[in-house]
Amino acid sequence: MPFCPGCGHGIAIKNLSKALEGAGYDPLDVIVVSDIGCAGLVDPVLATHTIHGLHGRAPALALGISLGLSNPGKKVLAIQGDGGATIGLQHLLEAARRNVDMTLIVLNNLLYGMTGGQMSGLSTLEFKAGRHIEDDAPPFDIVRLTHEAGAAYSSRVTAPGDFKTHFAEALATPGFALVEVACLCPSHGVGKMKELVSVASGDLGLARRREPARVAFKETAPLFEKGRQTEAPFHSGIKERLGIVIAGSAGGGVQSTARLIANAGILSGLHATMKGEYPITVGTGFSLAEVILSTKEIHYTGLEVPDAVVAVTTDGLAKARSRIKPGTSVVLDSKLEESASCPNAIYGDFQKEAGKQGAALFAAVFWLVKEGMLEADALLEVARKHKHAKSLVEVIERGVGVG
Amino acid sequence: MQLIDGSKIITEACVRAGADVYVGYPITPSNWFYAYAQKRFPLFLAAPDEISTLQWMSGFSAAGRMPVTATSFPGLALMVESLNMAYMMELPMLIVVTQRLGPSTGSATTGAQGDLLLLRGAISGGYPVPVFCPSGFEDCWNLAYEGIKTAIRYRTPVILLTSKEMVMTHRSFDLSGLPEIEKVERPKAEPGRPYQPYRAGEDGVPPFVPLGDDVRQVRLNASTHGNLGLIQKESPEAMANTRRLQEKLEQNIPAFTFYGLDEETGAEELIISYGISADAARDAVAALRSQGKKVSLLIVKTLLPFPPAILDILERYEKQVFVEENLPGLLRELVYGQARRKNTRSVNKIGSMITPSEIINQTGGEAFPTG
Ligand code: SF4
Repeated sequence: MPFCPGCGHGIAIKNLSKALEGAGYDPLDVIVVSDIGCAGLVDPVLATHTIHGLHGRAPALALGISLGLSNPGKKVLAIQGDGGATIGLQHLLEAARRNVDMTLIVLNNLLYGMTGGQMSGLSTLEFKAGRHIEDDAPPFDIVRLTHEAGAAYSSRVTAPGDFKTHFAEALATPGFALVEVACLCPSHGVGKMKELVSVASGDLGLARRREPARVAFKETAPLFEKGRQTEAPFHSGIKERLGIVIAGSAGGGVQSTARLIANAGILSGLHATMKGEYPITVGTGFSLAEVILSTKEIHYTGLEVPDAVVAVTTDGLAKARSRIKPGTSVVLDSKLEESASCPNAIYGDFQKEAGKQGAALFAAVFWLVKEGMLEADALLEVARKHKHAKSLVEVIERGVGVG
Repeated sequence: MQLIDGSKIITEACVRAGADVYVGYPITPSNWFYAYAQKRFPLFLAAPDEISTLQWMSGFSAAGRMPVTATSFPGLALMVESLNMAYMMELPMLIVVTQRLGPSTGSATTGAQGDLLLLRGAISGGYPVPVFCPSGFEDCWNLAYEGIKTAIRYRTPVILLTSKEMVMTHRSFDLSGLPEIEKVERPKAEPGRPYQPYRAGEDGVPPFVPLGDDVRQVRLNASTHGNLGLIQKESPEAMANTRRLQEKLEQNIPAFTFYGLDEETGAEELIISYGISADAARDAVAALRSQGKKVSLLIVKTLLPFPPAILDILERYEKQVFVEENLPGLLRELVYGQARRKNTRSVNKIGSMITPSEIINQTGGEAFPTG
């Protein structure tokens, strides 16, 4: 054993090995995931598979292994100390919440053994008081915590208590099973069972009937087929390049308008780029999109000088105003006429005609078709394939009609 | 032609290449990967944080699966310790990093190229992690594939370094020209005893056996270890094993050296860029040439370990202009450190993409606005 003489970890590991043998496991049917700290020194004494990772992360690493194994019937067994259990408390709870099939042994000697005996988040109040440590924060009860989180089995045993039953029970549990072992660290003065028994909060076993987590590796359909070459039956009046900024408010169809225009451009034999900009809170505030249509391949996708800015709401105009440069055509909703102070803009009753959701599309279509940039039929062709085809087609037809 | 985004292309390429599990925590501007992965990956798992993400992925990888995730700087920062673990255990996985404006939480919806040197120093001891950087949609496809191939072939985590504009801007793109992707199988060591998990072949790569094998005992270890995968301190075997991590990648760099080179005969000036700034550089070079300036363009796609073949190209040019969306010039620093170099300039910017005119200005051409 790699531990100090009389170390409780050694006793626990011996009992664990016996329990594994008793349960009929071949060593290669067991994968031990070891943590950092004294508890993590177990690898060399085990004839099982072993994987030795980071401090506090053994249950998380074990979760991936358990769900990733392709050969059933293997037992994933994670071992950590009280330091590891608090560094990665989230991992214990997550594995319990999902009831992932694994056994986690937490060797709790109430202190950090490897770094000199400092207190841990599992050190009990009595233990700290006995060492004159002023810290009145009570320890986590990981047995109750994991039980509440959904573990199939959570228990605590105080060395030299009834290891056999607890370990056997945990190993036989399908799903997440925890055994917290309160054990000695003679090197840092936890040498007497009596002391340990008096401070540990007592043996406990909590079970919950619950199916263990199962995952399935599914067959899925490709996100796109790469063999298809689309036709471009429509005509565009764009000479070289058109850059348009569409601005409105969240929920106003700005992004879908931009996408529709880009797709109509592709159907007209053009290259297209489209990008959106909106606050992190996507349900409120401005929504802005840029579309570039070009007869040549587009590399740089930014728009230094837009050919047109279309804005249908106050939020949208506020965001898009700085994009208006000399030579930029400006198309605004007539509701913005007073506040916009933009005398050369083209104004239209877009909101009134098409409502909040249709105004951006209405305004953009109106301008694009009026200027001969895109054919109405190209826009309609794209709209007809959209999931909201009916309303989009209606807005486009009316937008074109206004032109 | 189809309107498509880089996140979708990368996700599809990963799955075709054999990636079978996506673990992730959504983060802007990397969350389209999360959404696409939910539809496309054989297994999708929502982890509660990025530390769990990389731990779960390591578990899957150790069990023989090929995991992928996508994140941005704040998530990457949480992953660094586990990235070291996976690197030390020699577990293949692909991490897509979508750069956004920092420092710290910075600006989630603004692109950037600020994480190169973080990745250069991410492994304690300075060991290299392969970092590939797409500069267009074809690269998104090809480098995702190469990323998975490299991860599996050399048993290492691989980073695909992208930026917001690369993975969230839609572009018309001819998908029919993309090469086929063949599923990359994880090669399994020949059966038979004795097996030593970290005894490497000539290529520096130890043969892989998944945890849970019925006949061979597998031991994986994130601490300094010998061939058996058990902790050893300064033993010659353990040191050789640690040195091997550097050597296995360095000796195989030619297999994963990727770049684009557009050379003009007689040009003395070289524009060097990568990732999202490469497009502006392409436009700038075209404009400069139309003005009669002779200029060549190098787009670096394997950023780490930095390939000697790319250094050879750099040595051929007296005048160099580095174009990248960060303030200090991270690629330039990666190549030349703090050395003062005559005739080497930088185009740097934060907050928005570098424009072609900004590059043209630095290159002595006559700038004109695009768009
Ligand atoms: S320091 Fe304590 S816990 Fe660690 S091996 Fe020694 S006795 Fe055991």
